[in-house]
Amino acid sequence: MRKDIVIAGVRRSPTLAGMLLFYLAFGQSAFAHSGSATAIGLESGFMHPITGLDHLVAMVAVGLWGAQLGNPAIWTLPITFPLVMALGGLLGVAGVDVPLTEQIVALSGISLGVLIALRVRPPLWVAALIVGIFAIFHGYAHGRELPQAADPLSYGVGFVVATGLLHLCGIVLGLFIRWPLGERAIRACGAGIGCIGAYFFLAALGAIP
Amino acid sequence: MRAPGSYMVSALVLLGTPSVAHAHLVNTRLGGFYDGMLHPLTGFEDALPWLALAILAAFQGPQRARWLLVTFPLGLLTGGGLWELVPGLSFVPALSVALIAIVGLAVATAILLPLPITLALGAIVGLVHGYLNAQAMTETTDHLLFILGVTAVGYVTITLTIACAIVFLQGKGNWQAIALRASGSWIAAIGIMALGLQLLAPAI
Repeated sequence: MRKDIVIAGVRRSPTLAGMLLFYLAFGQSAFAHSGSATAIGLESGFMHPITGLDHLVAMVAVGLWGAQLGNPAIWTLPITFPLVMALGGLLGVAGVDVPLTEQIVALSGISLGVLIALRVRPPLWVAALIVGIFAIFHGYAHGRELPQAADPLSYGVGFVVATGLLHLCGIVLGLFIRWPLGERAIRACGAGIGCIGAYFFLAALGAIP
Repeated sequence: MRAPGSYMVSALVLLGTPSVAHAHLVNTRLGGFYDGMLHPLTGFEDALPWLALAILAAFQGPQRARWLLVTFPLGLLTGGGLWELVPGLSFVPALSVALIAIVGLAVATAILLPLPITLALGAIVGLVHGYLNAQAMTETTDHLLFILGVTAVGYVTITLTIACAIVFLQGKGNWQAIALRASGSWIAAIGIMALGLQLLAPAI
């Protein structure tokens, strides 16, 4: 008579049990870490601006506003933003305590959203100054995380590329400004960005739990 | 008696279990060359300034850019040799990061440089990266093959990237130069922050 054996609480025939044991003997490699420091740093840096909705809407807003202002703001703002952001990042790396960062990051969403919604067209240097001030605070928020990153250089690559791509999203959306309906849609986007900024601003003040 | 079918199944399982077969052992003979070729491609420390240097060369025009195909690989080769002679230069890592910011800023501004400065910049970037890559060599590494591998991959990368950037710049419209300048500003931003980390981290 054939005797069954028990594996993992289930009765199995000897042939099947032998096959299972055979498979168990050929174990696959186990990875304690799912990637190299470069890959982990790149991923965490890339996701940092994307997973924070307050950062995300402000970056898209920079591109949208640049497109709304037209040439040369459409390319001046996205080129200067990363450079000024790097200066803010330096403050974060150096461990300088910059107060009200969360509030001002949220305020950037409100301000840029309102400027887009009202289609405000200041001189280029004023637009660059507004965007530059906000870039310092966004850079500071990212820079605070930099020294703790698995690979700081990869982390920097990740968050700068993500920021640039979000600007590009804003610019591409801003191209709809050629059509009347698109122009209204962009202004509506600005209003939406302002509302999201207001939510985060109230949350940073503690008014929203 | 055990049925022949179970032996057949076991044999099929044994034959069907895949495993990796290595036809060539990369660590023998020319292994050091492949190690040298792959080493600069495993992180952003080399890729970022090489990319920026190639774009900067493309902004200078094909006539000037082609000289970089000589000075940059020669710099890599010399840098590797320099490490053999003076292995402990402590300022080289900071200089390497500073070069990311400098070359990135030059691309962001699309500056037209005099030919000697362009060539000197290419040679310095090559020298620094040849030196830093050579630091990865161990006692068992064939030093000559490793340095030649780094030089070869540097030559191929810079040649292909310059060619791509020149072709890209010659496209219709004026957005190509803006896109490359934007990429330069990204590289400069990364370099500025990395330099800050290099210089300010001990103070934290």
